[in-house]
Formats: sequence, structure tokens, C-alpha cells
Amino acid sequence: MPLPFGWAGKAREWEKDRMAETGERLLASLPITPETPVGFEFQPLRKKAAIQLMGSRAWGRFNPNHWDPEYAQSTGLSDPIQTGEMSSAYIAEMCVNHFGAAMFKGARIVCKYIASTVAGEVVTTHGVVTGKTPKGNGFRFRADIWCENEAGEKKTVGWVEADVGV
Amino acid sequence: MDEMTGKDGELKPMTAVQKAQTRAFIEGLQQESQTYWDMVEIGDELSRELHLTPELVILYLDPVEDYNPWYEGWRMNTWHIPGESPFGGAIVPPLLVSHFVLSVQFDHTRPFAIGSIHTFHDSEILEPIPVGATVRITTRAVDKFEKRGRRYVRHEVTVTDVASGILYFRETRDILSL
Repeated sequence: MPLPFGWAGKAREWEKDRMAETGERLLASLPITPETPVGFEFQPLRKKAAIQLMGSRAWGRFNPNHWDPEYAQSTGLSDPIQTGEMSSAYIAEMCVNHFGAAMFKGARIVCKYIASTVAGEVVTTHGVVTGKTPKGNGFRFRADIWCENEAGEKKTVGWVEADVGV
Repeated sequence: MDEMTGKDGELKPMTAVQKAQTRAFIEGLQQESQTYWDMVEIGDELSRELHLTPELVILYLDPVEDYNPWYEGWRMNTWHIPGESPFGGAIVPPLLVSHFVLSVQFDHTRPFAIGSIHTFHDSEILEPIPVGATVRITTRAVDKFEKRGRRYVRHEVTVTDVASGILYFRETRDILSL
């Protein structure tokens, strides 16, 4: 069968080969199952607070404190700060990686924004399973979640609950 | 060269024309405003419908660099697609509707209430939301309180499907106000 877009199709084949060698194995290790123990650590995600992303229309564009250095400094900030909800989205992405479909039905996620993420910072998401309560044929898992910068300063903290194997 | 150096330049290098456009945009936002605390009374309810188009979902996802294919109802070279997820077609990310609550809460403030910061959310994701659904986001002010010398306004939020009435999402969220 001919490739649909010539080199683009070829590139897609190479990408599939690469995923087969590396990424697919990694992704297969992510899902939390009823056997996952308390203490299990989530696979972190790393994100840079790039000012061009912070000021995009669907996020912080309505408030120049999220993207304009001059305006931010006029309001007493050293630099623009990211909306807290971007860190919630990062954490939610990590939770979907581990809980899969369970994050979309009967899940609960609580986040408290304890410090601002400043433009240019790199934050890393974390999670650790802290409890599993029997429910139906499986468990309701609970995990502490947070994200922090490269100095280890926590920015957002909270917890998540989701049903696994129920 | 000055405009391209220094920390501002590192964060957002811009030409003089871009800087002028930015300043004009910001001046356009400057309008008379109050603190959020003064604008909101307990019991105030605001509500708005939001069409969760495939393009809106992408607008939300790209800046947070989340490329999970479950959310894709639009793809370059193909455009609108039904998508694939464990629930059939494409679904919206778990906290997307939570982000857009802000637009409902601040509906009556132009462009935003001064000195207001979202500090907390307790979100229940009850059912998957299909890409393409139209939802009604309703926020109700339920409390105003002070904690460690800071003032907070608490809202309770529901997100339902306009067509079917399904309750997709429920949330409690706090806004810190000057």
C-alpha cells in the first residue's frame, strides 16, 4: 500500500518503530492496577513556564500579569506568573497517565496553589499513592500530588482519588 | 538593541512594533474595576453555556503541552474527526471545564477584578464529557471568609450537559481578593 503522504508517511513509520523500542514500554508501565501498592510513585512530568504559553488566549491572555514583564513589575511582581490552573492541568495529565479512564468517572482532584510559578521556571509534577480502600471488585486509590520547581520549592499541592478495578 | 536585552528580553524578545502593540492591548484592558470581594455577595449565581468545540479543546491543550490522543476531535490534514478514547469518541481533559469556570465567575468584571487570585479547587469529575458537547457552567457564591488576614470568596460550581442534563462535574473553588 503506498504511503499516503510520501515522506510524511515514511516518517510516521519511523516514529512507530521508535515508539516500539522505547515509548511503548514506558507507557505500558504507567497504569495503576488493583495490585499497585501504597507508596507507588507516579512518573513525573516536566514543564517549562514559557511566557508565550502563559499568555495564550485560552489561558492567561485576559490578565497581563501572566505574560507582560513590564505590567507584572508595575504590580509588584518580579516577572509574570503562571495561572495556577496550568499546574493543575500538568498534574491532571500525570493522573490520566496513571489512572486512565478512571480519571473521567467518579474521580476527585484537589489542588491548592501555595506559591506562584514565575516565567522561565521549570516545574516537575509528582504523585505518590497514600491509600487504597476496598470498593466493589477493586479499590479507591488516593494519592498525594504536587508540583515543584528545580529548587524543590512546592508550587501546587493536593490529592487525587480514583476507582481502579471497581 | 536595548529592547532585546535584559531579563524582559530573555522572557519575551520583541521588536519596537510588537512592544507598541502590546502596550495598546494592555491599555485596552484598563477599565474601572473593584476588588472581587466588593463585587460578590453570598448567593450570587452566574451561569453561561460553553460549546466544547474540538478547536477549543486544542486551544486549552497546546499551551500546557498535553498531547494525549483521547482529546483530539480535530487533526491537521484531516480536520474534524470523531476521535478515540476509552469512552468511544474524543473526550475533553479532566479539568478543562474547571479552567473555564473563571470566565463565568468574572463575567461581570471588566476585564478582571483587581487583586483576585484563584487559590484552591476541589473538583469531582463525575462523567466523561464528549468533545462537541455544549455544557452549562453555573457558579454560586456560598461563602466569604477571612483567613490569616486574607479575604476569600468561595463558589460552588456545577457543569451539566445542555441537551441531556447529565451532571458532568462539580467543584468548590476559592478566590483570594484584596
